[in-house]
Amino acid sequence: MKIAIIIPAYNEEDRIGETLKGLLKIGLPMVVVDDGSKDRTSLVAQKHADYFLKHRINMGKGSAMKTGAEFAFKNGFEAVIYFDADGQHSTEDLSKFIDKLNDGYEIILGTRTYSYDVPLVRYIGNKFASLLVSLLFGLYVSDLICGFRALTKNAYKQIIWESKGYGVETEMAVRISKTKLKMCEVPVKTIYLDSVKGVTLLDAFNILFQVFKWRIEI
Amino acid sequence: MIIGLQVTAILFALLMIYFAVLHFRRREITSMEMASWTIIWIATILITVFPEVLRTYAQTFAVSRLFDLMVVGGFILVIFMVTTAYMKIKRLEKKVEDFIRKEAITNVSTSKQSKNK
Repeated sequence: MKIAIIIPAYNEEDRIGETLKGLLKIGLPMVVVDDGSKDRTSLVAQKHADYFLKHRINMGKGSAMKTGAEFAFKNGFEAVIYFDADGQHSTEDLSKFIDKLNDGYEIILGTRTYSYDVPLVRYIGNKFASLLVSLLFGLYVSDLICGFRALTKNAYKQIIWESKGYGVETEMAVRISKTKLKMCEVPVKTIYLDSVKGVTLLDAFNILFQVFKWRIEI
Repeated sequence: MIIGLQVTAILFALLMIYFAVLHFRRREITSMEMASWTIIWIATILITVFPEVLRTYAQTFAVSRLFDLMVVGGFILVIFMVTTAYMKIKRLEKKVEDFIRKEAITNVSTSKQSKNK
């Protein structure tokens, strides 16, 4: 199966270099989508990435993920694996996603486990969100907002999301619940490096509001 | 008290007419839009000076005070305008996103090693 790794990035000049160097060892083509960074992310990423795409202005993680997927599928790739640019995921876990894709799974969601340094507040918030989505949509996803996930071209076509920002992972789960796609979860390590970046409390409230909106719309 | 409110409303309407003309001169709105806004604000001035013209409508909608009718009317107008603006922003946002994403996919830069993979 022809697989590409998609790395959405926004102002990650300090960490994207190391992340890409780590991914080089895996040998899969890397597609970096710079989501309008104002720092040197583009310069650093272009040194290592196989394909480099740049949003002229910051559109949000959801948009960058969509751009990466559309580019990959237009260029003959059959599946994509999303990998965060800030180095919070471990490259060791990539093989789990590749194996599952080769086993015929169409969507593979990474799941951060409590023993792997997830802060307690985030863990509780995440579990609450999982239960809420389960109640409203009938699909329980252990880790709704983990960015480490994989999907095939067919799965992408069925779950194309509208979210531009951090709500994208939750929207994906909501849309998955409306399909019959073969899905599984794999445990992944997560290294927390930055408490300011990523999903903030404000984002969490926004996502919560969106969940109720999707209940009516989708 | 009522006079004070009326004077404030008239001054506000005159200011809004000035803005309509200003934006038209800057070519930010069309002559049609400028004329529409001017008519709306002149009507506001007339209603402010002669509120009794609304008495018939107040009776029709079973509103006892003219002021209440104006407040309700104002709320409806504001909600309508906010909804319209929201929809326009959503459409604009979608257009910008589509353009930015399409441009990114078209102008992709490829490294040498990727050609060998």
